[in-house]
Amino acid sequence: MSNEAKAFIAPRASHVARHAADKSPSRVTRHALPYFPGCALKDQARGFERAAQAAMERLGYELAELPRWNCCGTVYSLSSDDLMRHVAPVRNFIRVQELGERRLVTLCAMCYNTLRRSARFVSTDPERLQRINAFMDEEPDYAGGVEVLHLLQLLRDEIGYEEIEARVERPLYGLKVAPYYGCMLLRPREVGIDDPDRPETMELLFEYLGAEAVDSPHKVECCGAYQTVANPEIARERVLEIVGAAARRGADLIVTSCPLCTYNLEHHQLSVPGDASHVTGDKSSTRHALPVTRHVIPILYFTQLLAFALGAPGEELGFEQAAVDPRPVLAQRVGG
Amino acid sequence: MAERIGGDALRVTRDVGIGATDYPSRVTRHTLRISSGEPDFVRRVEELSGEDVFACYQCGKCSAGCPFTSGMDLLPAEVLRLLQLGDERVLSSRSPWVCASCLACEVRCPKGVDIAKVMEALRLLILRKGETGLTWREIPPGVPQIALVGATRKLTP
Repeated sequence: MSNEAKAFIAPRASHVARHAADKSPSRVTRHALPYFPGCALKDQARGFERAAQAAMERLGYELAELPRWNCCGTVYSLSSDDLMRHVAPVRNFIRVQELGERRLVTLCAMCYNTLRRSARFVSTDPERLQRINAFMDEEPDYAGGVEVLHLLQLLRDEIGYEEIEARVERPLYGLKVAPYYGCMLLRPREVGIDDPDRPETMELLFEYLGAEAVDSPHKVECCGAYQTVANPEIARERVLEIVGAAARRGADLIVTSCPLCTYNLEHHQLSVPGDASHVTGDKSSTRHALPVTRHVIPILYFTQLLAFALGAPGEELGFEQAAVDPRPVLAQRVGG
Repeated sequence: MAERIGGDALRVTRDVGIGATDYPSRVTRHTLRISSGEPDFVRRVEELSGEDVFACYQCGKCSAGCPFTSGMDLLPAEVLRLLQLGDERVLSSRSPWVCASCLACEVRCPKGVDIAKVMEALRLLILRKGETGLTWREIPPGVPQIALVGATRKLTP
């Protein structure tokens, strides 16, 4: 992290005032961070947001929802001439700027990637930014400089895993967790939060929480993403490989950092009938027409497992929305 | 073999291996015209993507790591090769529509070619004519908006 960024996160007067009103003796400061939810965290994935709020509160932070935020655009435009696709991200950056803030935290890997790449795209060429500003004539100009962060970066680089470990109330001893990164947190390299082929951000986090991290060869491979709409069979094939590899290595559950990955993993793993092994894949393609065993394991968001380990009560964990209930395996392994 | 066909243009005829499933034949005889410029659609792909398709030296790393090849008629490296050859068959390939911009190829290309951008440019050539890559009778039930917005942004005009 840059010194500039470090200076920005130093406690400020408003945080001290907030702390004075906070009765909890365990909280030293309370940082309010501008937070960009995006569509998923406000709809089918709202339990992941609730869990994030619960976890961050226990770590002395508040995720303060960005006023008047709008859709990030979901997917980053890969075309050189498509300035229009950067209007939505830039409008969000203007909201951050209006707060006098410099950072924007997301929980969603898709939002993270789209916003972070757009911030980079407009900051590397003043002429592009000037054209976008001119187009949005009802808005103040965006001056540049907003830094987009995924919550995992904040946990790792600013709060630190040792600090998190010190606040664990339910250590995850005995639990085997397979982290699944997917694409958008790691690629391209210039916005990736870790090594694109050998990330360990989540492995370390869950080890500090007491769990055993299970490595899987498919943890950085695409889940099928939006192809789940047009070509669900492709997404299904991806998911069965990903879930099968984690399950065969003994994972009790898979932990994700993207709501779309979560949906795909949950949805498509359940598409294999439970009665017997059978053949999946495109029947015309011999390469993938292999027998597939049904593997069904719980898919949790990283915020859920973090909040669980930090002792958040059941109603703040969102476990009830999971397609495969994680509570039995957590009770069995951890005694949750 | 190569023959001079007037001015500084050469015609090179060679066998080009095409290894994808379902492609008309596994070896196609190809005529490569080396002249003062590549076809317009190749130039347009390079403009839209900002990538140099001639940088590719066919190592195949993109194709080896691509998680979507089972649904593709051309492997990613073959898409680049046909672009280098100015072969219009690349315009009717299914591969750019199966690519999900996961960027596994992008981080691994030893020549720094962002193949996902090339795939996006190939989609845009079609989409900007008003054609769509997404046909659905109904929105699949339960699919979250994050997928719907992603699919419509990548696959429709």
